[in-house]
Amino acid sequence: MTEFSDVVVTGVGFCTALGDDPWAAMQRGETGVAENEELVRLPHTTAAVVERIDLRAWLKRRKDRKLMARPAQLALSAAGQALTSWSGETDDLGLYLGVGREPGDDGESEAALVAAQSEGRLDSQRVAGRCRDLYPPLLPLKTLPNMALAHIAIHLDVRGENGAWSGDAAAGLTALRAGIWSIRENRCAAAVVVASDSWVSTGAVRDLIRMSGGTPIPPPGEAGVALLIESAASATVREAAVLGCVDTAEAGAQRAREGSHHSFLGRCNAADGLMAVALSIVGRASNRWVTAQEPGQPIVGVRVHVSSTNACYAPTSGSGLHG
Amino acid sequence: MSRRVVITGVGMVTPLGVGVEASWSAVCAGQSGIADIKRFDPSGLPVRFAAETVPPPVQPEDGGDLKLRLAVTALREALSMSGPLKGPRTGVCMGSEIGRPPLPEVAARMAEGSDPTREELNRMDPSAPTRLLAEISGATGPTSTVSTACTSSSQAVGEGLLRIRRGDVDAMIVGGVDVLVDAIMITGFAKLGALSERNEDPRAASRPFDVDRDGFVLGEGSGVLILEDRACAMKRGATILAELTGFGCSCNAYRITDSPPDGRGAYQAMEAALADAGLTAADIDYINAHGTSTPMNDPSEARGILHTFPDSVPVSSTKSSMGHLVAACGAVEAILCVLAIRDGCLPPTINLEHPDPECALDHVANEARFTPVAHAMTNAFGFGGSNGSLVISRHD
Repeated sequence: MTEFSDVVVTGVGFCTALGDDPWAAMQRGETGVAENEELVRLPHTTAAVVERIDLRAWLKRRKDRKLMARPAQLALSAAGQALTSWSGETDDLGLYLGVGREPGDDGESEAALVAAQSEGRLDSQRVAGRCRDLYPPLLPLKTLPNMALAHIAIHLDVRGENGAWSGDAAAGLTALRAGIWSIRENRCAAAVVVASDSWVSTGAVRDLIRMSGGTPIPPPGEAGVALLIESAASATVREAAVLGCVDTAEAGAQRAREGSHHSFLGRCNAADGLMAVALSIVGRASNRWVTAQEPGQPIVGVRVHVSSTNACYAPTSGSGLHG
Repeated sequence: MSRRVVITGVGMVTPLGVGVEASWSAVCAGQSGIADIKRFDPSGLPVRFAAETVPPPVQPEDGGDLKLRLAVTALREALSMSGPLKGPRTGVCMGSEIGRPPLPEVAARMAEGSDPTREELNRMDPSAPTRLLAEISGATGPTSTVSTACTSSSQAVGEGLLRIRRGDVDAMIVGGVDVLVDAIMITGFAKLGALSERNEDPRAASRPFDVDRDGFVLGEGSGVLILEDRACAMKRGATILAELTGFGCSCNAYRITDSPPDGRGAYQAMEAALADAGLTAADIDYINAHGTSTPMNDPSEARGILHTFPDSVPVSSTKSSMGHLVAACGAVEAILCVLAIRDGCLPPTINLEHPDPECALDHVANEARFTPVAHAMTNAFGFGGSNGSLVISRHD
């Protein structure tokens, strides 16, 4: 007899190339992978790009969007959706984030670096002159990996325990495991667990191809995904709809590797592990052990279970508490 | 009852020296590791000084990368104290941001139109130090990399504590590393208004809690701690340096660049760490503050400290001596707390000539203070508003 966790999922949010309900779109046979004009000179000409990230419902100040790199925008959109059902205090709300490498900027640093050169060499006078003029003052903050965490905290008022884990597909699962443990240990009343990444720019796709060392790679993608998790007791008290449960123990569950969504959503790296968990929840998976593994590192896994009595997911984008 | 977690090895490279004892004796003597930049020509830059390390000897595994060399050097020192720890019951968690290749290389590559190689990309990965330390140590347990800017390694140490308590592992190699001193980072942080521009007197530039402070000093370094389940450490006869008793963290949820003036996020983290340790404010004998020397951070942190510790507690910021080691600062400053407990010595805040009335704390100003320390706290607060506090206690 398998014991199931008392940590439950009461909110899910997606920001993907297939919109905020990718499971339904996948069931209809749709794919977010398409030819991308920016990539025409690369071996990979297709990517799963999120066409429009609507943050109006979540941003406290619209101008703050300019401070947000793409992974932060994807993360905020997904987190905002996942938190629409939250009605408790935000001091006790944890925030656990899986992120990729430092997100690229929008070309600002490259322009500054080009201006810093003279005949292929770095010129200190140029660094101090034209380069400095071109360098946007807030750029270091735009591109730090934890900025997605900062923007979620600021715009959604999340103040509790937190962490941001860098990596590939396992990053989001590491974040989810930390969140599950924190709820069990009463370190937070509930937690929003988020993962986001973006690999659709020309530079990112080039890096992805080089890092693959010549082995075929799935089409690059980008996504934000989020879960709201809390104890079963907390969900009962606040009469929240339970979508499923998550656990850190494998306990005989059916094994599943992240990545089955790549042909629909592209490879979203740091978002892939948590995406597989979230799709398992909305796809009503029964006792599934979702895993991810980074090269040379141990497997990271999370068990997902949706019972027949659990509620069905319905997308909540663009409305809710924080609108 | 959850497992108790002890510290059995420490290692560091800081702008004050290579190795724990070199850094510790210098910081207690009130020396400064801040000087004019030597690694590149900073003429014309708004800031021409930093807290650079004197690079330690090349390590066979570092691939010529300074960041990895600093991490490996600290690891080897820590393992020389603890003894080897390997296998599936030992994990690794490092605080780290993305690696940055030297700018002349980047410029040359851009001029050639060539791209970084696969190996270079792998070295730039924030997880590169974690992977390398696992490989060198033979630790095959869980690995993770925390990237929360200046809070990264404080949270990495906290993650190690929690993983051992939960029984995931028996030992964790934890810490942080960062190397940010280059022309572009200095240009960027200077434009942000975050750096001290006291070019005429670099040694006096980092002056936390002083009324004349004007920003932080960019530094670089690494710190590694070996954490173990106390029962396992005692069983194998390891020398126990201290006990890691508490960890707390919070989000400011305020602004990207500023700390909340009332110190809310800071005191939330400190109070969580105290509760986690099962201690009260009166039990803490020393606080190693985040104390960046920015006009904004120091009064916010001071208010947070006064909120949590209404009775006087000695406070110092060792960033006055070694600058801001960013992703490495939490681990390095946790090690300084271990040594403060060991030696009964509180390292000073140097350059504290005119304490800011907005930061009315019991400052350990300019000279070390000798007093027994049973419990010490260290704070790390990151850009973007992640806060982490650790409690380290004498092992009885």
